[in-house]
Amino acid sequence: MKRILTAILLSSLSLISAWAQGDGKGYLVGSFESNTILYSEDAVTNAQRPDGNFASNNYLKADYYAGGFSAGLQLETYQPALVGYPGNLEGAKLTNYYMQWTDGDFAVTAGTFYDQFGSGILFRTYEDRTLGMNTALMGARVSYHYKDIASIKALWGAPRLGMEPAKETQVRGVDGSLSLSNLLGMGATSLSLEGSLLNRYEPVNPIQEEAGAEASTLGYSARVNFEHNGFLVKAEYIDGGKKIYSNPNILIDGKSNLIKNGNAQLLEMSYSGGGLGVNLSARRMEWMESKVSYGSTETNNALNYLPALCAQYSYAITNLNPYIPQPGTTAGHINSGEIGGQLDVYYNFRRGTALGGRRGMKVNFNFSTYYNLKEEGSFMPKTLLWRNVNVGVEKQISKKFKMQLLYAMQEYNHSHGVGKGTWLSNMVVADLLYKFTPSFSTRMELAYLTTFEDQKDWMSGLVEVNFAPSWSLFVSDMFNHGDTKIHYYNAGFSYTAGRTRVALSYGRNRAGMVCSGGVCRLMPAYTGGNLVVSTSF
Amino acid sequence: MKKMIFAALMLLISSVAMAQIPSVKVEDGKGKVFNTSELVDGKTPMIISFWAVTCKPCIRELDAINELYPDWIEEANFRIVAVSTDDARFTAQARSLAEGHGWSDYTLVYDKNGDFKRAMNVQFTPQVYVVDKDGKIVYSHTGYTPGGEYELFEVIKKLQ
Repeated sequence: MKRILTAILLSSLSLISAWAQGDGKGYLVGSFESNTILYSEDAVTNAQRPDGNFASNNYLKADYYAGGFSAGLQLETYQPALVGYPGNLEGAKLTNYYMQWTDGDFAVTAGTFYDQFGSGILFRTYEDRTLGMNTALMGARVSYHYKDIASIKALWGAPRLGMEPAKETQVRGVDGSLSLSNLLGMGATSLSLEGSLLNRYEPVNPIQEEAGAEASTLGYSARVNFEHNGFLVKAEYIDGGKKIYSNPNILIDGKSNLIKNGNAQLLEMSYSGGGLGVNLSARRMEWMESKVSYGSTETNNALNYLPALCAQYSYAITNLNPYIPQPGTTAGHINSGEIGGQLDVYYNFRRGTALGGRRGMKVNFNFSTYYNLKEEGSFMPKTLLWRNVNVGVEKQISKKFKMQLLYAMQEYNHSHGVGKGTWLSNMVVADLLYKFTPSFSTRMELAYLTTFEDQKDWMSGLVEVNFAPSWSLFVSDMFNHGDTKIHYYNAGFSYTAGRTRVALSYGRNRAGMVCSGGVCRLMPAYTGGNLVVSTSF
Repeated sequence: MKKMIFAALMLLISSVAMAQIPSVKVEDGKGKVFNTSELVDGKTPMIISFWAVTCKPCIRELDAINELYPDWIEEANFRIVAVSTDDARFTAQARSLAEGHGWSDYTLVYDKNGDFKRAMNVQFTPQVYVVDKDGKIVYSHTGYTPGGEYELFEVIKKLQ
């Protein structure tokens, strides 16, 4: 059956491509990505290795567009999956394929697709290759926009888990928005109301049923968006519906499951204008975990998006202990959820001003903090989970020399709220770029982290040499001189020609969290050579 | 089976037509939904750069272009479109960053659900395109090395 399906798909693709070469007005785009690691033994870090010391993740995607019609597919192969990726990614498969037809305000999609309601706390299906995440819905979607006043979409399908759509889970949803400002002609002000309904269906077993679980659960989200003269306010209330959690007190009350109702609140306020960008966000979540399938514990088993709303760093040393959101858990201890928020400020001192100097100066500041909830249903904080303060300055000193400096302070609850203990660390980073000629430059990163806890002090350095637009070479080392005395060295190069990029590196990687878009997965230590090839056409 | 897939792929690759700007829904700086096909105005070419708050090289590239833009615009008429690929989590931050980096000459686009990114087959950021006045993609580049921005301007000059 599968073979026949694949054959039909391939032959129709060939037909389409033959047509594209002819007079058809359609065009084809696609991309290929391969991430391969040859692992080596490393007793120093207790590095993990797969059988055969080789692993490779490969993705091939192609999309065809002709007028309002589009179709596409994605092939994935894991030979096997890179160490640390979800265990349900294996073998080779045509994992995603879809057809879509759009006629101005009207669109229909059949096959696999990605979507989200509001901020994604209620529902989001997405792909993130860094995390091994692809929860595309296999089903159908219809959407309609009425002028710029109202829009509605309805979807139905089975979310993907691992290599295929979940066998027993189905999702049905409706999402709508109404622009009051456009309806009433409010001019410079923008005001809209949005709402979503989500029905999730998965059969429950008799034990879960006895605890009060139902196969069909309903959640909703209600939202208001307001914008005026650079001020923006977004508020969202989410009712996640009934969730099933395992009961840690089974011996006391005899129930093996607890049924909880998920809820969350999100408020975002921001202002931008005159070189100043400020945003303040606050969020509370309680029992908000939503899974594709009750039976899986893999990290790609998620039907919603609960990212860490805090400072996001791109330097390794500032990411040793990233914040992992706590949307409610009964594993180890009972904690119904979290509350917290962040303040972000960006400011541009223009050239010619006292602080801006001849070439201007950019500064940014972030403060973020999160707590466990005092008790179920409460809006009061209890235990500190995470706190971060950082200040960054960026300045073009001369035509050739650019400097970025960062100071950060982080307090991290290493038991995720089970206990009160936190690790406090202070970090400084200098990121210096020097251009010898317009196309030949070097960049240096120096970083230091100091703490009395865990593995004590770290330092790191990186030197990069760039020959624009194609070549880039780097060597780096991150050294834990406070405790383990382990060097995490890396060296490599990348070559880019148009849309093809080849990067080869060799090095030692520490065990820790790999995060993308505020969602993390645990990565074991590994040492080896890594080849990444990507191209698109 | 594998041979068949390979053959089909080769066919696909050989049939590359001039790709153009797809038509998908994105948001502007005020959260208003619009269609990406509206970016094409039939008069001026543009540089389209896909970036993200967490992507340092992207910000470096957009800053470098911003620095040179006042000089470039004297020589050639073109627009710069910065597409934030940040999802709902980072949209507010992306807006603040764009303001705080003085990207006031850019057309700022927010691709929260990743539809534009997927339609253009962007895998890694930074990913930059030069698009002619009719929406045809004439040049693209993945990744950024300091100085790479000059090549973009060379392409833009040829389109005048």
